Amino acid sequence: MSGRGQVRFEDIVKMHGEFAALKGVTFDIEPGEFFALLGPSGSGKSTTLRILAGLDAPSAGRVFIDGQDITAADARDRDIAMVFQSYALYPHMTVYENIAFPLEMAKMPKAEIVPAVQEAARKVAIEHLLQRKPGQLSGGQQQRCALARAIVRKARLFLLDEPLSNLDAKLRLETRTELKKLQRSLGVTAVYVTHDQEEAMTLADRMAVFMAGEIQQIGRPADVFARPNSIDVAAFIGSPPMNLIPARYRGGYVEIAGHRLETSLKEAGERDVVVGIRPGAVRIVTDGIPAVVDLVEDLGDTAILDLDCSGISIRARVSDGNVPREGAALSITARAADIHVFDATTRRRL
Amino acid sequence: MIVRRIRLVAVLAITLLFLLAWVFPIVWSVLNSLKTDSDVLAYPPKLFFTPTLEPYRDVLFGSASILPNLVSSFVIAIGTTVITMLMAVPAAYALARLRFRGKKFAGFYVLATQMLPPVGIIIPYFLILRNIGWIDTYQGIILIYLSFSLPFAIWLLVSYFEDIPFEMEEAAYLDGASRMKTLWRIIIPQVRGGIAVTVVFVFLNAWNEFLFAVVLSGNTVRPVTVAMFNFISVEQTLWAKLAAVSVLAMLPVVILGIVAQKNIVKGLTVGAVKGGGRR
Repeated sequence: MSGRGQVRFEDIVKMHGEFAALKGVTFDIEPGEFFALLGPSGSGKSTTLRILAGLDAPSAGRVFIDGQDITAADARDRDIAMVFQSYALYPHMTVYENIAFPLEMAKMPKAEIVPAVQEAARKVAIEHLLQRKPGQLSGGQQQRCALARAIVRKARLFLLDEPLSNLDAKLRLETRTELKKLQRSLGVTAVYVTHDQEEAMTLADRMAVFMAGEIQQIGRPADVFARPNSIDVAAFIGSPPMNLIPARYRGGYVEIAGHRLETSLKEAGERDVVVGIRPGAVRIVTDGIPAVVDLVEDLGDTAILDLDCSGISIRARVSDGNVPREGAALSITARAADIHVFDATTRRRL
Repeated sequence: MIVRRIRLVAVLAITLLFLLAWVFPIVWSVLNSLKTDSDVLAYPPKLFFTPTLEPYRDVLFGSASILPNLVSSFVIAIGTTVITMLMAVPAAYALARLRFRGKKFAGFYVLATQMLPPVGIIIPYFLILRNIGWIDTYQGIILIYLSFSLPFAIWLLVSYFEDIPFEMEEAAYLDGASRMKTLWRIIIPQVRGGIAVTVVFVFLNAWNEFLFAVVLSGNTVRPVTVAMFNFISVEQTLWAKLAAVSVLAMLPVVILGIVAQKNIVKGLTVGAVKGGGRR
């Protein structure tokens, strides 16, 4: 399987009338990679997936798979399998017939279809449901059926459009793990669309963060988390989201609520910036920025504190051992390495 | 408790009233078709009489047999239904799914043809058919019936096609199916309830049609709706025979209704697509 499923998106533009859904998107996906397209609703990630699948045509730009220009190729000629958010199972067919359908279309001999369907069903643990109709399955079982239909053909590319969004929270976590294992065992290239940053972080080898029709950042999830390259990415990745505080930068320091914090940015001069501090990086100290605890959200092993620092609200994540009470006064700080500095006008990382 | 019982009685009474209004002509026809002509005209009406199959024997095998007319009706109704469906299914699919120039206009045009009063177009139709020599022919009547059954069938089917989620079709394309294969294997099986409903309506309309048939038919092709009038003349009306023909003409309709009832299962797609919604 490896060596197949290399994708290149080259300056893809998609216009809907005057509205640009994609504004020149370029990225590469390596064979065997689990690549996530992450972004809020309307950011262009689903449009990107649909163009890759051949369900929508780009207004400009080119799409390559395994070095071959497939921009104008029909969806059915692309050798791509896809799992839809709605699963799109054929309701009049049994689970067996659903899974067998792509093989039938590929004109595989009947004698080979039976074992192939059984093998795919076994991989997603639905071999006992083959004679049922989709309407008789639970949401999780329908999702597995859709997965089996996608993997049965051994396509070179595996597209997933928010496949977990219709499952309940517990099932979503379980399926997430299984999905990752399945992709690893098949060694197939997977492109995964999601608006859930946690899903992208846990599943993807690399991810592209979409905002307003553009890719803001591409990288390994840990890198994107550690070094978001813009305010928008910083605000989108991480839960609870990063604290973003307008501040003044002066030669290696930022000033928040009249207090100086050292940053790892060593640049001369002075300018307006936005300072980003992840809630987990906020430290309670004896000498720092004074704050009052507005609200405590206890999550069991950790707690989220809503703090008021002279009118600026900051969220902090603390471990369960020393949770202050609401109304308590304390002082906070952050290490230089944990302070992200963004330009207030360009919104880019400094 | 009492209120609920009163409500139940009221609902039952209203239902019964409607049922009576609907059933009365049928019961009247069936009863009269089993009477002799003298029993039919007896006053006060006879509730108890010796049933006879004489009227049926007369209208089926007598000198004025309506068998050829029943055959005519079948040929016209089946011909109209088959041709209508062969054209309406792809047309409805195209209107529901494809994007093409003039689609809006085409949709309106289909509906607009339904707005013309039949009486207004019957004379032009007659003139056209006479000029091409198609008066009193199957092709002539079927062609005219198509002009109103086709728009109706398209209009009815479009809503069924629109109910099928786009993603279902897209999934089929990605599974390697062509547009025709997708239509045949994925879409049509899901709209078969709608197709059954449409078949029933088109067949019934063609079977029951009288106005055009009376003008455009003749001695060769004369559907049963027109032939019934053989039993009504200036001097007398042969009520028993008329009733027997009515019952015979009703039979296929009733049978079709019973058969199609099984197929008209709504919500075939329910449960197959959860959530959805395109971003």
